[in-house]
Amino acid sequence: MIPGTGLLEPYRSDAAFDELVAPDGRVRTHWSQVIGALQQLGPEQLRARHAEVERLLRNDGVTYNIHGDPTGLGNPWSLDPLPLLMGSEEWAGIEQGVAQRAELWNLVVADLYGPRELLHRGVLPPELVFDHDGFLRPWDGVTLRGPHELFLYAADLVRGPDGSMVVLGDRAQAPSGAGYALENRVVVSRVFPSLYRDAQVHRLAPFFRALRGGLAAVAPEGTEDPRVVILSPGRFNESYFEHAFLGSSLGYPVVEGPDLTVRQGRVWLRALGGLEPVDVILRRVDGWWCDPLELRPDSRLGVPGLVEAARRGAVSVANPLGTGAIENPGLIGYLPAMARHLLGEDLALPSPQTWWCGDETDRAHVLANLDRLVLKPTSRGAGQSSVFGWELSTSQRDALRRRIAGEPRRWVGQERVEPSTSPALLGSSLEARPTIVRTYAVARREDYLVMAGGLVRVAPSPDNLLISGQSGGISKDLWVLASEPEAQAGLWVRSDGAPPLAEPSMAMPSRAAENLFWLGRYAERAEVTIRLLRCIIDRRNDSAGDLNPSVVACLHGLFTALTHLTATYPGFVGEDADARLADPDDELRSVVAATDREGSLASSLRSLLAAAHAVQDQLSSDTWLVVSNLERELDQLDQPSADPDADAQIALAGIIKSLLALAGLGMESMVRDPGWQFLDAGRRIERAMLLLTLLRSTLVPVRDRGTESLMFESVLKAAESIITYRRRHRANAQLGTLLDLLLLDATNPRSLAYQLDRLAEDVGDMPRERQTRLSEEERLILDASTRLRLADLDALGTGQDAVRWELDALLTELHDLLSETAAAIDAHHFTHLPRQIMVGQPGLLDAGNGDAP
Amino acid sequence: MRFRVVHRTEYRYTNEVSVGHSIAHLLPRSTEFQRCRAGSVVIEPRPDDKREHTDYFGNRVVYFSLQDPHDHLSVRATSEIEVWARDVPEPPPTPWDEVRDALRSSTARELLAAREYVLPSPLVPVTSELAAYAAPSFTPGRPLAEAVVDLARRIHDEFVYEPGATSVATPVADVLAHRRGVCQDFAHLAIGCVRAMGLAARYVSGYLETEPPPGAEKLVGADASHAWVSVLIPGWGWLDLDPTNDVPVDDRHLVVAHGRDFGDVTPLKGVVFSRGGDHELIVAVDVTRID
Repeated sequence: MIPGTGLLEPYRSDAAFDELVAPDGRVRTHWSQVIGALQQLGPEQLRARHAEVERLLRNDGVTYNIHGDPTGLGNPWSLDPLPLLMGSEEWAGIEQGVAQRAELWNLVVADLYGPRELLHRGVLPPELVFDHDGFLRPWDGVTLRGPHELFLYAADLVRGPDGSMVVLGDRAQAPSGAGYALENRVVVSRVFPSLYRDAQVHRLAPFFRALRGGLAAVAPEGTEDPRVVILSPGRFNESYFEHAFLGSSLGYPVVEGPDLTVRQGRVWLRALGGLEPVDVILRRVDGWWCDPLELRPDSRLGVPGLVEAARRGAVSVANPLGTGAIENPGLIGYLPAMARHLLGEDLALPSPQTWWCGDETDRAHVLANLDRLVLKPTSRGAGQSSVFGWELSTSQRDALRRRIAGEPRRWVGQERVEPSTSPALLGSSLEARPTIVRTYAVARREDYLVMAGGLVRVAPSPDNLLISGQSGGISKDLWVLASEPEAQAGLWVRSDGAPPLAEPSMAMPSRAAENLFWLGRYAERAEVTIRLLRCIIDRRNDSAGDLNPSVVACLHGLFTALTHLTATYPGFVGEDADARLADPDDELRSVVAATDREGSLASSLRSLLAAAHAVQDQLSSDTWLVVSNLERELDQLDQPSADPDADAQIALAGIIKSLLALAGLGMESMVRDPGWQFLDAGRRIERAMLLLTLLRSTLVPVRDRGTESLMFESVLKAAESIITYRRRHRANAQLGTLLDLLLLDATNPRSLAYQLDRLAEDVGDMPRERQTRLSEEERLILDASTRLRLADLDALGTGQDAVRWELDALLTELHDLLSETAAAIDAHHFTHLPRQIMVGQPGLLDAGNGDAP
Repeated sequence: MRFRVVHRTEYRYTNEVSVGHSIAHLLPRSTEFQRCRAGSVVIEPRPDDKREHTDYFGNRVVYFSLQDPHDHLSVRATSEIEVWARDVPEPPPTPWDEVRDALRSSTARELLAAREYVLPSPLVPVTSELAAYAAPSFTPGRPLAEAVVDLARRIHDEFVYEPGATSVATPVADVLAHRRGVCQDFAHLAIGCVRAMGLAARYVSGYLETEPPPGAEKLVGADASHAWVSVLIPGWGWLDLDPTNDVPVDDRHLVVAHGRDFGDVTPLKGVVFSRGGDHELIVAVDVTRID
């Protein structure tokens, strides 16, 4: 034991095996360097590094969504900065065992969707396969190009009391977590840079290079430059962050089922500018959900015709849709026999002894030993999770016994393995926690490459044995310590010195463009709403207690403008408006904070965040920094407060700062690709339309001079142009010069003319079929610009019957043209899928709302 | 005997639908007792893509898709089938309970493969109610063939054939409770009963020649798809039974496909994209003897 800092003083493990401390109380050799370094850092530094980890994760927008928890969307990912350490020599054995297991499972998959000799020869009981949800009969005979039917495999490993590793679970459907492992590595190596360097840690890059190379290798024959997409269930999926992260790390677009379509027997991406062929799909949707035509008919997550396209070999799906058949713990008991039958070898990495209840003898054993076994359902699904027999009361045990007896084929009993503990860094001290490691194998041409590392999870409390992301575990990085430094190589560079793989970059899915467009619109809407709110607050503060009729009239004008701008009717117009105008506080608070009220600031922000999450893979990490700030600020908006007005102003100031940062990033950090054009077009259209609404509701009514003067000033403020105006015009604001600055001055980034110019550029660059003609949206913008330039500004200022009719007409016309432009962009560039319907025989069965798996 | 079968399916949509993908189990497979001489599926409007493959169960499946908006779809399957009389030896008198035990324990290939058809399937759950209904036919030691023939006869006698009483979505439990249905329901019911006794049964879809012999009663199933049940008699083969008509399945029963239940062999199903609206479906089947 190293005395001194107390880092190890309270460390005690009740487990039979601890990763850090040997039975003789000494720190195991491969830990001593890292522990020594941690002790040198001291408690203050450790706490600081921990905080740094949290900050980095937050900034990267790393989340893990918890099922069944409405507030669980966007839960922060929890990462302990102290990695789990493993020596190279020991890892070599694990690596070999995992690769062997991947190969074995691969042969099982190939057999189950091919000759099924394992069943016909009685190696496997037929019911074990036939009655499993993952066995997809329509997939029969479909093969992946190359020697492997299992592309990606993950093993959940724990170390048992005797110090040997066992495989607690096998993941073959669409193994998750490799992306989190990469993110963990990025964060931990940033937080402990010198420690990471000195420890000589095996890199993860070779695994991800093999993943990229493997995806290219399985592409359909004759594909020169395979186009790869990641198929995700969408942003409500628990590991959506990972899909986006893998997409941006590997350079593949993240798509959802409706983004793809099958035509002429192959798969196409609905991209900006038309359909683009897809050659390879890295699948993160469970197989059963992937094709409503041949698989689950009510699925909205899949692509009708996908199975047929794969059957023809026109698209490669990795993992193939049928691999879920082996994610069946009932197979574990037969694994040693299958290893001998298929590989002629014994299993290198065993699993805990497992009894399948579909077998009479096994069932009898399980039912007689319920109190000491882990009971697992053979298929994963809603409400299907492992049960620890020893934790059950007598009546719960009886209920489980009845359940198993009623559907014996769907259950296994598994010997309990007490996992080893590893040190978790909590604050500045270490605590021993049960630990599980997930590592990955990816198919190469000849064999499997195992990740030299993995995703480690430790129990959220010392006695919790259910370790999973879903139950709120803590994750860790896994450092496999090399005996000598390893050549460093990035994800994109090949270690053999060959040039990086040339792959065509795919066009952006049109759904992504649509989300960027709305991201721009909502960001602008939120910004403009806040500006007007601040004008109102300022005006009220300036006039505190002053009941001057001009001030009151101006305020009322601004209140109604707010209702029009946010479209939160009836608000300060329409029925009962007088009462709300007299006592506006509740209405104002609601327009700010009522999330469920469409048009409110909170609702615009929420829509902004939803759009941002939907295009997470398209946005830079700095953008996530801003987005995560906005998320926190939105949360704080509806917190109860002792001084609501003051807090509201602080909150609004924070939000507008984030919105400005977001706008700045859009200008300074985004490539001017089609994605940017849609984002910018969204902003321009929204800013232009809101400006027109603001001017129309404030300037069309003719008011007395005093009120108008106050009103003009507020409008200039709300349109962020007051400084310029004051610099140019010493006198009080006049309508003519105001309209000049806000409508016509093409050098004012807040003017309508400026928005129209920019919009024309954006729209001109958007993909289209024919270059020679103006598109509909170009014509509309040109029309708006012309009308604006031809407008007689002097005539606009004059009113009749207290209304400036000419101004009203012009502003309305321009607003209509912009709204038509938005509709034209929508119609020409975004996907409009009608309802997917299953036509059965003899009736039409409405597919209903496909819920997530 | 040779038959020509024309199976027409027509969808008319009140509003246009776009992009349709369909799969059809409309071309008859060849079996021990029949050969499909010629078969074609003609689709209108002309599909952009069409391809035939053999499915997991050995059935012939035609996949086709239409990319352009359409307000009707007509699928016309024509086939010529030669059917032989089932001139086979009587099934062996093996007691059903012996077969049940052999299915559980034997490692013979035939029995291992048949175990898929002992299991419940998506449309045919195996319940104690079905076992209770089946029980009187399955007295201890009774030869399997005799027991299932008795079961089919009881279903024919105790259930009312009533088109419209049920739909594809009607669960077997309801059919059992209300004692009425159509051929598909009776096939599912019989399958569930046989499986509930631990035996292997599969679903057969096909057609029945409806031209009644002079003076004979016209059989149910005329001018429509028909369905019946097939039970494995180990060492002998699959015994087909028609609980709807309680007649021997012979050279007037034309097989199209078989599977675990209707869901595996749906004649025509598809996915379309629609903006709403209703549709009309017309199915017409003609079975004519050629010689």
